[in-house]
Amino acid sequence: MKDIEELQFPDDVRYSKDHEWARPEGDLFVVGISDYAQDQLGDIVFVELPETGRELQQNEEFGSVESVKAVSELFAPLAGTVMEVNGALDDAPEKVNQEPYSDGWMMKIKPADKADFEALMDRDAYLAMLKG
Amino acid sequence: MPPAYLLDLPATPYAEALAMQRAAAAARRDGRLDRDLIILVEHPPVFTLGRRGGRENLLITASELRTKGIAVIPVERGGDITYHGPGQLVVYPLIDLNAAAIRVVDLVTALEAAMVQTAAHWGVTARGDTVHRGAWVGSRKLGSVGITVRRGVSFHGLALNATTDLTPFDWINPCGIQACRMTSLARETDRPVDMAKVRRRMADHLGRLLRLPLTSATLEDLAPMVREAA
Repeated sequence: MKDIEELQFPDDVRYSKDHEWARPEGDLFVVGISDYAQDQLGDIVFVELPETGRELQQNEEFGSVESVKAVSELFAPLAGTVMEVNGALDDAPEKVNQEPYSDGWMMKIKPADKADFEALMDRDAYLAMLKG
Repeated sequence: MPPAYLLDLPATPYAEALAMQRAAAAARRDGRLDRDLIILVEHPPVFTLGRRGGRENLLITASELRTKGIAVIPVERGGDITYHGPGQLVVYPLIDLNAAAIRVVDLVTALEAAMVQTAAHWGVTARGDTVHRGAWVGSRKLGSVGITVRRGVSFHGLALNATTDLTPFDWINPCGIQACRMTSLARETDRPVDMAKVRRRMADHLGRLLRLPLTSATLEDLAPMVREAA
Protein backbone atom coordinates (compact mmCIF):
# COMPACT_ATOMS: atom_id res chain seq x y z
CA MET A 1 0.00 0.00 0.00
CA LYS A 2 1.39 3.36 -1.02
CA ASP A 3 1.56 6.15 1.51
CA ILE A 4 -0.90 8.95 0.93
CA GLU A 5 2.11 11.19 0.24
CA GLU A 6 3.11 9.04 -2.76
CA LEU A 7 -0.29 9.36 -4.41
CA GLN A 8 -1.37 12.13 -6.77
CA PHE A 9 -4.23 14.45 -5.85
CA PRO A 10 -4.52 17.22 -8.43
CA ASP A 11 -6.27 20.41 -7.35
CA ASP A 12 -8.19 20.95 -10.62
CA VAL A 13 -10.72 18.23 -9.70
CA ARG A 14 -13.09 17.75 -6.79
CA TYR A 15 -13.55 14.50 -4.91
CA SER A 16 -16.46 12.47 -3.51
CA LYS A 17 -16.37 10.44 -0.31
CA ASP A 18 -16.61 7.31 -2.48
CA HIS A 19 -13.30 8.30 -4.14
CA GLU A 20 -14.60 9.48 -7.49
CA TRP A 21 -13.38 12.79 -8.94
CA ALA A 22 -15.05 15.32 -11.25
CA ARG A 23 -13.45 18.03 -13.41
CA PRO A 24 -15.30 20.78 -15.32
CA GLU A 25 -14.87 20.63 -19.12
CA GLY A 26 -17.01 23.19 -20.94
CA ASP A 27 -20.62 22.47 -19.99
CA LEU A 28 -19.77 18.95 -18.89
CA PHE A 29 -17.95 17.26 -16.04
CA VAL A 30 -15.41 14.51 -16.58
CA VAL A 31 -15.58 11.74 -13.94
CA GLY A 32 -13.07 9.11 -12.85
CA ILE A 33 -11.68 7.47 -9.70
CA SER A 34 -8.89 8.86 -7.54
CA ASP A 35 -5.31 7.64 -7.33
CA TYR A 36 -6.14 6.41 -3.83
CA ALA A 37 -9.05 4.33 -5.20
CA GLN A 38 -7.01 2.71 -7.97
CA ASP A 39 -4.18 1.93 -5.55
CA GLN A 40 -6.65 0.19 -3.21
CA LEU A 41 -7.93 -2.01 -6.02
CA GLY A 42 -4.74 -3.38 -7.46
CA ASP A 43 -4.54 -4.24 -11.18
CA ILE A 44 -7.83 -3.40 -12.85
CA VAL A 45 -8.93 -5.96 -15.44
CA PHE A 46 -12.39 -4.70 -16.38
CA VAL A 47 -14.34 -1.45 -16.23
CA GLU A 48 -18.13 -1.50 -16.54
CA LEU A 49 -19.53 1.87 -17.65
CA PRO A 50 -23.09 3.15 -18.16
CA GLU A 51 -24.91 3.67 -21.47
CA THR A 52 -24.73 7.19 -22.85
CA GLY A 53 -28.00 9.01 -22.31
CA ARG A 54 -28.55 7.47 -18.90
CA GLU A 55 -29.80 9.84 -16.21
CA LEU A 56 -27.89 9.47 -12.96
CA GLN A 57 -28.82 10.68 -9.51
CA GLN A 58 -26.04 11.92 -7.26
CA ASN A 59 -24.44 8.94 -5.47
CA GLU A 60 -26.25 6.47 -7.75
CA GLU A 61 -24.24 3.44 -8.84
CA PHE A 62 -23.05 3.98 -12.43
CA GLY A 63 -20.73 1.05 -13.02
CA SER A 64 -17.93 -0.98 -11.49
CA VAL A 65 -14.25 -1.72 -11.71
CA GLU A 66 -13.00 -5.26 -11.39
CA SER A 67 -9.55 -6.11 -10.20
CA VAL A 68 -8.95 -9.86 -10.22
CA LYS A 69 -11.90 -11.47 -8.37
CA ALA A 70 -12.91 -8.18 -6.76
CA VAL A 71 -15.69 -5.95 -7.99
CA SER A 72 -15.87 -2.40 -6.66
CA GLU A 73 -18.97 -0.40 -7.39
CA LEU A 74 -18.79 3.18 -8.69
CA PHE A 75 -21.03 6.04 -7.60
CA ALA A 76 -21.86 9.22 -9.48
CA PRO A 77 -20.28 12.25 -7.77
CA LEU A 78 -22.95 14.49 -9.29
CA ALA A 79 -26.36 14.11 -10.88
CA GLY A 80 -26.82 14.46 -14.62
CA THR A 81 -26.94 12.78 -18.01
CA VAL A 82 -24.17 10.52 -19.28
CA MET A 83 -22.98 12.16 -22.53
CA GLU A 84 -19.89 10.07 -23.28
CA VAL A 85 -17.99 7.13 -21.78
CA ASN A 86 -14.33 6.22 -22.21
CA GLY A 87 -14.53 3.30 -24.64
CA ALA A 88 -10.73 2.96 -24.62
CA LEU A 89 -11.02 1.33 -21.19
CA ASP A 90 -12.63 -1.75 -22.81
CA ASP A 91 -9.27 -2.76 -24.25
CA ALA A 92 -7.02 -0.95 -21.79
CA PRO A 93 -8.58 -0.95 -18.31
CA GLU A 94 -5.06 -0.59 -16.88
CA LYS A 95 -5.20 3.10 -17.90
CA VAL A 96 -7.24 3.61 -14.72
CA ASN A 97 -4.25 2.40 -12.70
CA GLN A 98 -1.71 4.30 -14.75
CA GLU A 99 -3.40 7.64 -15.42
CA PRO A 100 -6.47 7.89 -13.19
CA TYR A 101 -6.96 11.63 -13.83
CA SER A 102 -6.31 11.71 -17.59
CA ASP A 103 -6.46 8.66 -19.91
CA GLY A 104 -8.25 6.68 -17.20
CA TRP A 105 -11.32 8.96 -17.15
CA MET A 106 -14.64 7.10 -17.15
CA MET A 107 -17.53 9.28 -18.28
CA LYS A 108 -18.63 12.81 -19.11
CA ILE A 109 -21.80 14.07 -17.46
CA LYS A 110 -24.07 16.99 -18.33
CA PRO A 111 -24.90 18.14 -14.82
CA ALA A 112 -28.44 18.54 -13.55
CA ASP A 113 -27.20 21.16 -11.10
CA LYS A 114 -23.70 22.59 -11.19
CA ALA A 115 -23.95 23.28 -7.47
CA ASP A 116 -23.38 19.52 -6.93
CA PHE A 117 -19.79 20.10 -8.02
CA GLU A 118 -19.17 22.90 -5.55
CA ALA A 119 -20.38 20.63 -2.75
CA LEU A 120 -17.68 18.02 -3.50
CA MET A 121 -14.42 18.02 -1.56
CA ASP A 122 -11.42 20.00 -2.72
CA ARG A 123 -7.96 18.45 -2.54
CA ASP A 124 -7.29 19.48 1.04
CA ALA A 125 -10.66 18.26 2.34
CA TYR A 126 -10.25 14.94 0.52
CA LEU A 127 -6.73 14.46 1.87
CA ALA A 128 -8.01 15.24 5.37
CA MET A 129 -10.70 12.56 4.94
CA LEU A 130 -8.13 9.99 3.72
CA LYS A 131 -5.85 10.68 6.65
CA GLY A 132 -8.86 10.24 8.93
CA MET B 1 -8.22 -2.75 16.14
CA PRO B 2 -11.44 -3.41 18.05
CA PRO B 3 -12.52 -7.04 17.67
CA ALA B 4 -14.72 -8.08 14.75
CA TYR B 5 -17.80 -10.24 15.20
CA LEU B 6 -17.58 -13.88 14.17
CA LEU B 7 -20.93 -15.38 13.16
CA ASP B 8 -20.73 -19.17 12.82
CA LEU B 9 -23.88 -20.19 10.98
CA PRO B 10 -25.28 -23.63 10.22
CA ALA B 11 -26.19 -24.51 6.61
CA THR B 12 -28.24 -21.61 5.24
CA PRO B 13 -29.94 -21.21 1.84
CA TYR B 14 -27.82 -19.01 -0.43
CA ALA B 15 -30.50 -16.38 -1.08
CA GLU B 16 -31.14 -15.98 2.64
CA ALA B 17 -27.44 -15.54 3.40
CA LEU B 18 -27.10 -13.09 0.51
CA ALA B 19 -29.91 -10.91 1.87
CA MET B 20 -28.22 -11.02 5.28
CA GLN B 21 -24.87 -10.01 3.78
CA ARG B 22 -26.35 -7.09 1.87
CA ALA B 23 -28.21 -5.84 4.94
CA ALA B 24 -25.16 -6.23 7.17
CA ALA B 25 -22.87 -4.49 4.65
CA ALA B 26 -25.29 -1.54 4.50
CA ALA B 27 -25.46 -1.48 8.30
CA ARG B 28 -21.67 -1.56 8.56
CA ARG B 29 -21.40 1.30 6.10
CA ASP B 30 -23.69 3.63 8.02
CA GLY B 31 -22.37 2.57 11.40
CA ARG B 32 -25.42 0.71 12.77
CA LEU B 33 -23.24 -2.38 12.77
CA ASP B 34 -20.43 -1.11 14.99
CA ARG B 35 -17.76 -3.67 14.08
CA ASP B 36 -16.58 -5.69 11.11
CA LEU B 37 -18.21 -9.09 10.72
CA ILE B 38 -16.89 -12.45 9.52
CA ILE B 39 -19.61 -14.97 8.61
CA LEU B 40 -18.87 -18.71 8.35
CA VAL B 41 -21.57 -20.73 6.59
CA GLU B 42 -22.38 -23.63 4.27
CA HIS B 43 -25.03 -23.58 1.57
CA PRO B 44 -27.35 -26.21 0.09
CA PRO B 45 -26.41 -26.83 -3.59
CA VAL B 46 -26.53 -23.69 -5.75
CA PHE B 47 -24.70 -22.19 -8.73
CA THR B 48 -23.90 -18.48 -8.62
CA LEU B 49 -22.81 -16.22 -11.47
CA GLY B 50 -20.34 -13.34 -11.00
CA ARG B 51 -20.94 -9.75 -12.02
CA ARG B 52 -19.72 -10.43 -15.52
CA GLY B 53 -21.98 -13.41 -15.92
CA GLY B 54 -20.63 -16.83 -16.68
CA ARG B 55 -23.84 -18.53 -17.85
CA GLU B 56 -21.91 -19.71 -20.93
CA ASN B 57 -19.79 -21.74 -18.51
CA LEU B 58 -22.84 -23.65 -17.31
CA LEU B 59 -22.70 -26.94 -19.18
CA ILE B 60 -26.10 -28.43 -18.37
CA THR B 61 -29.57 -27.40 -19.52
CA ALA B 62 -32.27 -25.58 -17.58
CA SER B 63 -34.37 -28.75 -17.44
CA GLU B 64 -31.45 -30.77 -16.05
CA LEU B 65 -31.01 -28.08 -13.41
CA ARG B 66 -34.68 -28.30 -12.48
CA THR B 67 -34.44 -32.08 -12.22
CA LYS B 68 -31.49 -31.74 -9.87
CA GLY B 69 -33.21 -28.95 -7.97
CA ILE B 70 -30.27 -26.55 -8.22
CA ALA B 71 -30.90 -22.84 -8.71
CA VAL B 72 -28.64 -20.41 -10.61
CA ILE B 73 -28.36 -17.05 -8.89
CA PRO B 74 -26.64 -14.01 -10.44
CA VAL B 75 -24.76 -11.96 -7.85
CA GLU B 76 -22.63 -8.83 -7.75
CA ARG B 77 -19.30 -10.39 -6.75
CA GLY B 78 -16.15 -10.56 -8.87
CA GLY B 79 -15.31 -13.78 -10.67
CA ASP B 80 -17.29 -16.16 -12.86
CA ILE B 81 -19.64 -19.09 -12.24
CA THR B 82 -19.15 -21.25 -9.17
CA TYR B 83 -20.87 -23.93 -7.15
CA HIS B 84 -21.67 -23.99 -3.44
CA GLY B 85 -22.84 -27.08 -1.59
CA PRO B 86 -22.67 -29.02 1.66
CA GLY B 87 -19.15 -29.67 2.94
CA GLN B 88 -17.85 -26.44 1.45
CA LEU B 89 -16.91 -23.75 3.96
CA VAL B 90 -18.04 -20.33 2.76
CA VAL B 91 -16.64 -17.22 4.47
CA TYR B 92 -18.03 -13.73 4.08
CA PRO B 93 -15.80 -10.92 5.41
CA LEU B 94 -17.85 -7.74 5.86
CA ILE B 95 -15.12 -5.24 6.52
CA ASP B 96 -14.96 -1.45 6.44
CA LEU B 97 -11.77 -1.52 4.39
CA ASN B 98 -10.82 2.13 4.88
CA ALA B 99 -11.22 1.93 8.64
CA ALA B 100 -9.28 -1.34 8.78
CA ALA B 101 -6.65 0.03 6.35
CA ILE B 102 -6.94 -3.09 4.19
CA ARG B 103 -6.66 -2.70 0.43
CA VAL B 104 -9.06 -4.62 -1.82
CA VAL B 105 -6.19 -6.53 -3.39
CA ASP B 106 -4.77 -7.37 0.05
CA LEU B 107 -8.13 -8.75 1.19
CA VAL B 108 -8.17 -11.10 -1.80
CA THR B 109 -4.62 -12.20 -0.98
CA ALA B 110 -5.52 -12.73 2.70
CA LEU B 111 -8.52 -14.88 1.75
CA GLU B 112 -6.25 -17.05 -0.40
CA ALA B 113 -3.69 -17.30 2.39
CA ALA B 114 -6.35 -18.27 4.95
CA MET B 115 -7.35 -21.21 2.74
CA VAL B 116 -3.71 -22.23 2.20
CA GLN B 117 -2.95 -22.09 5.94
CA THR B 118 -6.14 -23.96 6.83
CA ALA B 119 -5.30 -26.72 4.34
CA ALA B 120 -1.85 -27.11 5.91
CA HIS B 121 -3.47 -28.47 9.11
CA TRP B 122 -4.51 -31.51 7.09
CA GLY B 123 -1.05 -31.86 5.55
CA VAL B 124 -2.27 -30.44 2.24
CA THR B 125 0.15 -28.08 0.49
CA ALA B 126 -1.82 -25.43 -1.38
CA ARG B 127 -0.76 -22.09 -2.81
CA GLY B 128 -2.36 -18.85 -3.95
CA ASP B 129 -2.04 -17.51 -7.49
CA THR B 130 -1.94 -13.82 -8.38
CA VAL B 131 -3.39 -14.45 -11.86
CA HIS B 132 -5.84 -17.32 -11.34
CA ARG B 133 -6.93 -16.29 -7.88
CA GLY B 134 -7.82 -19.08 -5.46
CA ALA B 135 -6.13 -21.84 -3.47
CA TRP B 136 -4.50 -24.48 -5.66
CA VAL B 137 -3.09 -27.93 -4.97
CA GLY B 138 -0.90 -28.48 -8.02
CA SER B 139 -3.26 -27.70 -10.89
CA ARG B 140 -6.37 -28.58 -8.88
CA LYS B 141 -8.47 -25.86 -7.32
CA LEU B 142 -9.23 -26.29 -3.63
CA GLY B 143 -10.92 -22.98 -2.98
CA SER B 144 -12.23 -19.86 -4.71
CA VAL B 145 -12.41 -16.15 -3.95
CA GLY B 146 -14.73 -13.43 -5.24
CA ILE B 147 -15.56 -10.22 -3.41
CA THR B 148 -17.57 -7.05 -3.85
CA VAL B 149 -16.82 -3.64 -2.39
CA ARG B 150 -19.85 -1.40 -1.97
CA ARG B 151 -19.14 2.05 -0.55
CA GLY B 152 -15.97 0.84 1.12
CA VAL B 153 -17.44 -2.30 2.74
CA SER B 154 -16.48 -5.74 1.43
CA PHE B 155 -18.84 -8.69 1.12
CA HIS B 156 -18.96 -12.07 -0.64
CA GLY B 157 -15.63 -13.82 0.03
CA LEU B 158 -14.22 -17.32 -0.21
CA ALA B 159 -15.35 -20.92 -0.64
CA LEU B 160 -13.12 -23.79 0.50
CA ASN B 161 -13.98 -27.36 -0.47
CA ALA B 162 -13.57 -29.44 2.69
CA THR B 163 -15.72 -32.52 2.17
CA THR B 164 -17.73 -31.22 -0.80
CA ASP B 165 -19.19 -33.67 -3.31
CA LEU B 166 -17.36 -32.30 -6.38
CA THR B 167 -19.69 -33.81 -8.99
CA PRO B 168 -21.65 -30.57 -9.62
CA PHE B 169 -18.40 -28.85 -10.64
CA ASP B 170 -18.40 -31.18 -13.66
CA TRP B 171 -21.52 -29.37 -14.85
CA ILE B 172 -19.71 -26.01 -15.13
CA ASN B 173 -16.37 -24.57 -16.21
CA PRO B 174 -15.51 -23.41 -12.71
CA CYS B 175 -14.09 -19.88 -12.50
CA GLY B 176 -14.57 -19.58 -16.25
CA ILE B 177 -11.45 -21.60 -16.96
CA GLN B 178 -11.88 -24.63 -19.17
CA ALA B 179 -10.50 -27.85 -17.78
CA CYS B 180 -10.19 -26.31 -14.34
CA ARG B 181 -10.24 -29.37 -12.06
CA MET B 182 -11.61 -28.95 -8.56
CA THR B 183 -10.49 -30.78 -5.47
CA SER B 184 -11.31 -30.91 -1.76
CA LEU B 185 -9.43 -31.32 1.51
CA ALA B 186 -10.97 -34.77 1.92
CA ARG B 187 -9.68 -35.80 -1.49
CA GLU B 188 -6.16 -34.49 -0.83
CA THR B 189 -5.62 -35.92 2.66
CA ASP B 190 -5.88 -39.28 4.40
CA ARG B 191 -6.81 -37.61 7.67
CA PRO B 192 -10.42 -37.19 8.73
CA VAL B 193 -11.85 -33.78 7.80
CA ASP B 194 -14.17 -32.50 10.49
CA MET B 195 -16.13 -29.44 9.38
CA ALA B 196 -16.27 -27.87 12.85
CA LYS B 197 -12.48 -28.05 12.97
CA VAL B 198 -12.15 -26.55 9.47
CA ARG B 199 -14.33 -23.66 10.62
CA ARG B 200 -12.19 -23.07 13.72
CA ARG B 201 -8.92 -23.17 11.82
CA MET B 202 -10.25 -20.85 9.13
CA ALA B 203 -11.46 -18.29 11.68
CA ASP B 204 -8.10 -18.37 13.49
CA HIS B 205 -6.07 -17.85 10.34
CA LEU B 206 -8.30 -15.24 8.78
CA GLY B 207 -8.44 -13.20 11.97
CA ARG B 208 -4.66 -13.28 12.25
CA LEU B 209 -4.09 -12.46 8.56
CA LEU B 210 -6.48 -9.51 8.67
CA ARG B 211 -5.24 -8.47 12.13
CA LEU B 212 -8.82 -8.61 13.37
CA PRO B 213 -9.34 -10.24 16.76
CA LEU B 214 -12.64 -12.14 16.54
CA THR B 215 -15.38 -12.33 19.13
CA SER B 216 -18.26 -14.77 18.69
CA ALA B 217 -21.69 -13.33 18.06
CA THR B 218 -25.12 -14.82 17.33
CA LEU B 219 -27.81 -13.79 14.89
CA GLU B 220 -29.80 -12.55 17.88
CA ASP B 221 -26.88 -10.30 18.91
CA LEU B 222 -26.57 -8.82 15.44
CA ALA B 223 -30.20 -8.55 14.33
CA PRO B 224 -30.96 -5.27 16.15
CA MET B 225 -27.92 -3.63 14.50
CA VAL B 226 -28.56 -5.00 11.05
CA ARG B 227 -32.32 -4.54 10.83
CA GLU B 228 -33.34 -1.67 8.56
CA ALA B 229 -34.39 1.42 10.49
CA ALA B 230 -38.20 1.51 10.41
